[in-house]
Amino acid sequence: MKFTGNRALILGGSCDLAITLARRMIEAELFPILTYRNEKGRKYISENLEDCQKKYSSLYLEFCNRDSIDSLLHQTGDDIAFMVDFVQGNFESLVASADMEDVFSYFAENISFRTEIVKRVARIMMKNKRGRLIYISSAAAKRPNPGQGFYAAAKLASEAIYKNLGLELGGHGITTVTLRPGYIDSGRGRKFIQDHSKEVIDKVPIKRALTKKEVVEAILFYLSNSAAGFNATEISMDGGQVNLWTSWKK
Amino acid sequence: MDILEEIKKILAEILDIENNIITPETYLIRELGAESIDLLELAIAINSVFNIDVNDDEIFLRKLRDYITEAEQQNKNILQYLAKKLPFLSRKRLEEIIADLEGGPTLKVKDLISYIDFQINNFTVLSVVDV
Repeated sequence: MKFTGNRALILGGSCDLAITLARRMIEAELFPILTYRNEKGRKYISENLEDCQKKYSSLYLEFCNRDSIDSLLHQTGDDIAFMVDFVQGNFESLVASADMEDVFSYFAENISFRTEIVKRVARIMMKNKRGRLIYISSAAAKRPNPGQGFYAAAKLASEAIYKNLGLELGGHGITTVTLRPGYIDSGRGRKFIQDHSKEVIDKVPIKRALTKKEVVEAILFYLSNSAAGFNATEISMDGGQVNLWTSWKK
Repeated sequence: MDILEEIKKILAEILDIENNIITPETYLIRELGAESIDLLELAIAINSVFNIDVNDDEIFLRKLRDYITEAEQQNKNILQYLAKKLPFLSRKRLEEIIADLEGGPTLKVKDLISYIDFQINNFTVLSVVDV
């Protein structure tokens, strides 16, 4: 795969998928910059990429701390060719029983703050006249389970921000893609899959969860020159899960 | 650095026009037809060339009419209210703007120059204070 550009900002860099992606980027001679929100995240990145010294960097960014954006972008400088956004706070609650303080802060972090960083990175990319942003959404954006209403709302709102960015700046070389993975045997999803293996098999036409490697390879493809024609769009990568559910409903 | 000359170069490139048609009195939107995406590019170029923070709403006078409405609703003097909200514009220029509102978007090249000049000087003053 060929890429236009080298430095890739990975938001939410301490999750398993992000680290797997960073490793794969390094193999592809890209330079990942992973963000972490606390010391635990920094250590996790450092331990898992111990053999890749000087081939990546990790920087602090906390979704809710606007000063951390200034600090992050001051350190990255204006050379950002790619951004992959994995960040998503977890918030499960039935709509009718949600704590409103939690709702306000959840949307502020996961929508407003995300908008600010997308805006600022897009302006950097405009200076360079190119840039590619991938937002990692979720199949749950399209088909939430009970209790996932706020999660889905934040995902859909964020998808809209990325989509419009691609619509508005596509002509200036800045393009976006949203990927909606389904069940992934990784991170938060792993325990759920272990506890609900029958449900996963029943809901997913390919009868299994996605692997980290599959998702990471897809992200890398969408960052590559081969995928330049994809812009301002959402792509489901869920083994057919969402469409199977849709057909059942019909 | 000659601010006007730099602005002319930037605008000529973004809008694909000859820079000799641009003067301080040129209207960006009314005459040059600048659209929102052009203004975004302009803001980014100004940030890059002059190394100043650019607030798009301020430099392009986007909230001008909102400020006037606010002043009217609060029974405040419009000129004084605008002078507080848009401190980079002179009183004379604000009077011109108020008289020119019916003609459409009032933004002129000289407003960009005032904003840049204000930001540069502001930054210089702050630096001196910091020292």
